[in-house]
Amino acid sequence: MVSKEEIEHIAKLMRIDLDDHTVHIDRVQKMIEYFDILDKAGTESEELIINEQPLENLREDKYEPYGDKLIDKLKHYKEKFIRAPKMV
Amino acid sequence: MNLGISALDYIEAIKNGEFTVEEFVSETFDQIKKVDGKLHAYLSLNEKALDQAKELDKKRKAKEKIGSCMGMPIAIKDNICVKGTKTTCASKMLEKYVAPFDATVIARLRKQDALFIGKTNLDEFAMGTTTEFSAYGPSKNPWNQEYVPGGSSGGSAVAVSALESVVSLGSDTGGSVRNPASFCSIVGLKPTYGLVSRYGLISYANSIEQIGPMARTVKDAAFLLNVIAGIDPNDNTTVDNHGEDYLKNIEAGIDGKKIGIISEMVGKGTDKEVSSATKKALAKFEDLGAKCEEISIDMVDYSVASYYTITSTEAGSNLARYDNIRYGFDFDLEGYEFNSYISKVRRNFGPEVTRRLIIGGFVPSAGHAGKYFLKALKVKSKLTKEINSAFKKVDFLVAPTVPILPFKFGEKLDDPVAMFLIDFNTVTANLTGKPAISVPFENSNGLPIGIQIIADSMQEKSLFQAAYALESTTNLPKVPL
Repeated sequence: MVSKEEIEHIAKLMRIDLDDHTVHIDRVQKMIEYFDILDKAGTESEELIINEQPLENLREDKYEPYGDKLIDKLKHYKEKFIRAPKMV
Repeated sequence: MNLGISALDYIEAIKNGEFTVEEFVSETFDQIKKVDGKLHAYLSLNEKALDQAKELDKKRKAKEKIGSCMGMPIAIKDNICVKGTKTTCASKMLEKYVAPFDATVIARLRKQDALFIGKTNLDEFAMGTTTEFSAYGPSKNPWNQEYVPGGSSGGSAVAVSALESVVSLGSDTGGSVRNPASFCSIVGLKPTYGLVSRYGLISYANSIEQIGPMARTVKDAAFLLNVIAGIDPNDNTTVDNHGEDYLKNIEAGIDGKKIGIISEMVGKGTDKEVSSATKKALAKFEDLGAKCEEISIDMVDYSVASYYTITSTEAGSNLARYDNIRYGFDFDLEGYEFNSYISKVRRNFGPEVTRRLIIGGFVPSAGHAGKYFLKALKVKSKLTKEINSAFKKVDFLVAPTVPILPFKFGEKLDDPVAMFLIDFNTVTANLTGKPAISVPFENSNGLPIGIQIIADSMQEKSLFQAAYALESTTNLPKVPL
C-alpha cells in the first residue's frame, strides 16, 4: 500500500500545489492501489518490446525557418531572448 | 434540406446542384443555434465558414476544380491545431492559445476543401470518458440529455449525432473516439498506430494515441480516412499506406471470414443489454457467412492498469511544456522564483489532469518504477504477443465497444476505479497499436449500443468491409432532437 506521504512527496517534486489536498491524495491513492493488479499478471520473464528506428528512416536534419515570428506571441521577450523567472 | 445525410450523399448533392455549400452550411449553423445551447458540442465556431462556403460556390459556378470534400462541414476536436483558431484542449491552461499552424490532418482536409465548422468539447487534455472533466462544462448526449455522451471526444460525437456537422475528427488514446461514438450511435475509428499523422495533435500519451474519423456511416469514415491517412515527414511514427483507397470494395462482405469474440470483454461487468446486443451481432456475422469462436486473451484483465500507468507517465512529461512562458497563459515574472512560478501556473490544470500528473510522476519514479511502470510495459508486450497470435487464427476480434450502457451525469464521477473500467474493452487496441472501429448496432430504450471490431495492423480495408457488413444489418431509430 502506497502511503499518502509518498504521494505528497511526488506531488511536490512535480511542482503541484494542491488546494483540496485530502480529496486529491485520497483519489490518487485509490487509483494507484488499483495498479496492484499488475503484480498478478505473471509477466516477470517477459521481455520489453523496443521499437527501433533506423536512422535513415528519419527526416533529414536540416534547418527549415518557420514563417511566423512565434516569439511575438510571448509576453516577456526582447529581440531574440525570452525572459524567464529566476532559477535561484 | 436534410442535415442528417451522409458525407458521400452531401458530396453527390453538391455535384448535382441540389443545394449550394452556402445553403447547407447556413442551415448547419441554424441547427447549432437551435440545439447547442443545450448540448454544448462546440467550444468555438468558425465565423468565416459562411464566407468560405460562398467562395467555394463561386469557384464551382466558374467551373473551377474544387477538392473532393466539396465544402463538407467537419467539426474538429479542440486538441487538434487549426491555424489562427483557439485550441484550448478544454483547459483553462490553454484558454488563450491560438494555434500558429495547421495539424497535418487539417492541412489535408483543407486541401480537399472540407469546411471547418468549429472546435468541439472534450475532457480536459482528453483525459476522461464523459466530457465531465472539460473546464468549460460537459456536452450532453442528444439521445437523452441526462446522460453523458462518452468521451473524451464527446463534443465531436454529439456534433455528428445532433446534425451540427456531417463528420468530425476525434483523438483516441484509450477509446476516446470509439466510446463516444458508441454512446451517441455513430461510427468511430481508431486507426493503426502510425497510419494518421499526429503532427498538430496536442500530445497526451504520444506512444499510443491516434486521430480518428467520426461519422454517420462506415463509408463516410472510410472516405475521411482516405483524406487524412498516410506518411508525414513531420511525424516520424507515420507509415506509408501507399495511397490505399479504403472505400474501394467496401461492400465485399465477410463471407468465410473468421471472427474471435474476446471472452474477457463479454464477461462479468457487462450490462445485460450490452451482452444481448453482442450476441445478436455475432448471430448477424454468422448470417453473413463468418465463423465465430471465443478467444481468450489473458492480458486483457491487466490492460486498464497498464494503460493508465503508461499514459499518466507520458502525460507527466508531455504536459511539462505548460510552463507559463509559452502557449498563451502567462503572468508577470516579478515576485516568483522558478519553482513557485511553475507550481502557480499548474493550478490552472483541472482536478483530473492534476491527479494524472501526480500518478505520472509517481509510477515511473525511482523506487516505484519496477512495481508499476516496467510491469505495465511488460503487460503491453505480452498483450501484443497474445493479440498477434490471435490474428493468426482469426481475421477480426469482436467485443462490445463499452461494457455498459450510457449512464447519467455524476454517476461515476466520484469513483475513479469505476471510471477506469469503462475503458476495459477499448484500451487493448491502443496498447497493441491495432485498428478498431465502433459500429452503432442497437438502441436499448433510447440508449445506443456500439459493437467494436478490431483488425490486425494496417488492415483497415478489411476492417471497413466487416463494419460495413454489420452496419447493413441494422435499422436504427433517428436521434430524438
